[in-house]
Amino acid sequence: MATTSPLGIDFDHYKWGFHDPEDKYVFKARKGLDAEVINQLSHMKGEPDWMRAYRLHAYEHYRQRPTPKWGANLDQIDFEDIYYYLKPTEGKGRTWEDVPEDIKRTFDRLGIPEAEKKFLAGVGAQYESESVYHNLKEEWEKLGVIFLDTDSALREHPDLLREYFGTVVPPEDNKIAALNSAVWSGGSFVYVPEGVHVDIPLQAYFRINAEKAGQFERTMIICEPGSYVHYVEGCSAPTYMADSLHSAVVEIIVKEGARCRYTTIQNWSTNTYNLVTKRAVAYRDATMEWIDGNIGSKITMKDPSVFMVEPGAKAEILSVAFAGKGQHQDPGGKVIHAAPHTQSSVVSKSISKDGGRAGYRGLVKIYPGAHGSKCAVRCDALILDDQSRSDTYPTMEIEEEDVQITHEATVSKVSDEQLFYLMARGIKADEAMGMIVRGFIEPIIKELPLEYAVELNRMIALEMEGSVG
Amino acid sequence: MSDPIVEQSAPAPGLGREAVLALSERRAEPAWMRERRLEAWSLYEAMPLPDPNADAWRRTDISGLQLDEVRPILDGQTRGGGEAWPRWVQEALAGAGERRGGMLVQRDGRTVHHAVDEAVRGQGVLFLDTHAALSQVPDLVREHFMAVVRPDELKFRALHAALWDGGTFLYVPPRVEVTLPLLSATWIDTSGAGLFPHTLVVADEGSKVTLIDLFGSDPMARQTVVSNATELILRDGAQVRYVAFQDWGPGVWEFGIIRAHLARDATLHSLVVAFGGSLVKTDIESLLRGSGGRSEMLGLYFGDETQHFDFHTLQEHFAPHTQSDLLYKGAVKDRARSVFAGLIRVHQGAQKTNAFQSNRNLILNAGAKAVSDPKLEIMANDLRCTHGSATSRLNDEHLFYLMSRGLRRQQAVQMVVDGFFAEVLDRVPLADLRVQMQQEIARKLEEM
Repeated sequence: MATTSPLGIDFDHYKWGFHDPEDKYVFKARKGLDAEVINQLSHMKGEPDWMRAYRLHAYEHYRQRPTPKWGANLDQIDFEDIYYYLKPTEGKGRTWEDVPEDIKRTFDRLGIPEAEKKFLAGVGAQYESESVYHNLKEEWEKLGVIFLDTDSALREHPDLLREYFGTVVPPEDNKIAALNSAVWSGGSFVYVPEGVHVDIPLQAYFRINAEKAGQFERTMIICEPGSYVHYVEGCSAPTYMADSLHSAVVEIIVKEGARCRYTTIQNWSTNTYNLVTKRAVAYRDATMEWIDGNIGSKITMKDPSVFMVEPGAKAEILSVAFAGKGQHQDPGGKVIHAAPHTQSSVVSKSISKDGGRAGYRGLVKIYPGAHGSKCAVRCDALILDDQSRSDTYPTMEIEEEDVQITHEATVSKVSDEQLFYLMARGIKADEAMGMIVRGFIEPIIKELPLEYAVELNRMIALEMEGSVG
Repeated sequence: MSDPIVEQSAPAPGLGREAVLALSERRAEPAWMRERRLEAWSLYEAMPLPDPNADAWRRTDISGLQLDEVRPILDGQTRGGGEAWPRWVQEALAGAGERRGGMLVQRDGRTVHHAVDEAVRGQGVLFLDTHAALSQVPDLVREHFMAVVRPDELKFRALHAALWDGGTFLYVPPRVEVTLPLLSATWIDTSGAGLFPHTLVVADEGSKVTLIDLFGSDPMARQTVVSNATELILRDGAQVRYVAFQDWGPGVWEFGIIRAHLARDATLHSLVVAFGGSLVKTDIESLLRGSGGRSEMLGLYFGDETQHFDFHTLQEHFAPHTQSDLLYKGAVKDRARSVFAGLIRVHQGAQKTNAFQSNRNLILNAGAKAVSDPKLEIMANDLRCTHGSATSRLNDEHLFYLMSRGLRRQQAVQMVVDGFFAEVLDRVPLADLRVQMQQEIARKLEEM
């Protein structure tokens, strides 16, 4: 049952809650984490010594660091009850036919190959801990663009990895990033040479299959001066009784005059903890854009960040969060102005419904000397019923006087006047509600590739069904 | 009514259980108050200082606080001489300025002047220092004292509850409207002292009153700690305007709280003005507990030199059809720091709520810093809630425009700053107070 849905977003139910048998897995590490598991993982991957040492160092830090107490409640995660490394298959498909049959079936059901044919420059697919498929269209390969899973990149481009790995998100950054640094596996590595514009998106799709699995992909994007790339990722997992953990680290380097756009639409099942560290460094006149849609998961905590370290760098963060029953979406964004004449804009739109909790937790930091910088933060929330909750925590730390900073936030309900107006035009109540909600997230929808925008709109329309009356 | 001013005094030794007992003894307090003080003292000893990493404290460094050095003022002795009085108290004492419904002046926790307008007294209004209230209307005090602010909330609240001394008590009977503002002035003379004044206002159903609470001191050679608490109880339909205006001298560290409980259809207008002190951390909270309650919360602060101001505000809506509207504006100069952290919390069921919050900061030179930290926690859906904050600096174009019209730079800056604060000043219908604020702002701008 192939579908053309590029996101795998479903409507009445979480359609991607199915799972495959695990008996064919090539390797499944025992549950829990210690130095032995890490050594074993590194050995199986045939990694250089420096990476193994790096992992062990990160593990030590992970052990010593307490679980964060701020934000969403993470006390229910039992870090010892998780499979940290699951290898479903040997090798990786370069053509779709090479991918093992049952995994292929999964991605067929998620619609990945269809999507690739239609509108992508390249596609990566990760299943559990390992990447199972990566392909980049030849025209881009010829221009020197690299699009690989990160393990392969470590083998094929060791110097690039060694130069940049962990420079944007060091293992000491936070406990969850330390955990990822210790057990990372898979993820995408993207390198765009100077002046190359990859003008159709690259996509990666991440899938967790086994119960109590942890997925720790590590993604790195390097944009050389004057280049452009748009990277899109989608995520899903089966629905189990026990929770899964997804904890990615994403490091992005945007050099002089380059532009990078990173779009995430996460639709993890509602028993997945999604704890992600995403960070970019933007150099002179570079632009970094995060477009971050959070629809699924039980708890999401992430704050896509941009460190603007040279004059003229720009950051844009667009964030949409939709929290339904039992969900706590705690996304946000950080813009760090560490150089003069840097500019940032943050727009957050959150919707909560059926007892869900959604919000925005952000940071604007302006260092001394970052004169002439500008930052505007806007957070809007819609709460659709009286059981749901919205939180807005937009912290601002301004240490330079010659700057312009504004912050605005609103929380409201769908106004009766708007509904009345639409219904007076013959539109049914829930359709009208859906239209208003779609209008509410319009600023973000219009930044998505067309297929994604259509999916998100359809999803909102269906989520809104039965929400009136 | 005023006590004679006694000669030179040094603060008594140390905070401790003995000091609590001695204070209670000197004030000839009933046993229940003594017991409550002692309980609070045990709490104080048991509680740690606030965690410097906690959200409410991470922007305010109190590692320089030396609580062990603090001396309570046990004998109420104070240095004599009216020349130390600030001009506003002198003028008020001399009967200048606007007419007042009553005036209460305290130095080092001791009442030195107390006058209540006959008409106000005739209305059954009680306006006196908190100790006098404890002996004259013990039941009323017992019912409300520290029912709004609890000793176990924070080490500084426990300290306050154990050693509270001085402060103002105001009770307005049902449906009584006090047309003239009541003025209370609190002054600290003793350097190195700890002062813990307690203000308690009970505005009964349908009553209306204005209380202006002024706080000040000389420059203090030694660290002087103030942990004050103001409890405002507004019963159904009560209307209260409360102004806390502080101009502490350098050396004063303040850890204060102003918390209001608003019942059905009650209206509170609060204004917090801060100019003085070395380090000031004040919580200003409005708890809207009855439907139809409305709280206007205004703030104006201006820090210079190395002053550190930290305001945490709370607009907490428990009931439907409630409204809160907050506007805090601050300027910082030299190496001053200001922190504004405002939270709007709307509980489930508090439908048809309107909650607004706005913080604006003006940075007058490089080296000064303003932090704005607004937050929303919303658990109802049928409401309108906004917050906004903006931080800006003196705009060179505005200054240039004014200077090209022949103004000196100093005058131009003054005009811009006045314009910045006008939005708050215009909402305060107390002419004397506005003049005082403008004078203080002008004084702070003199060295620019």
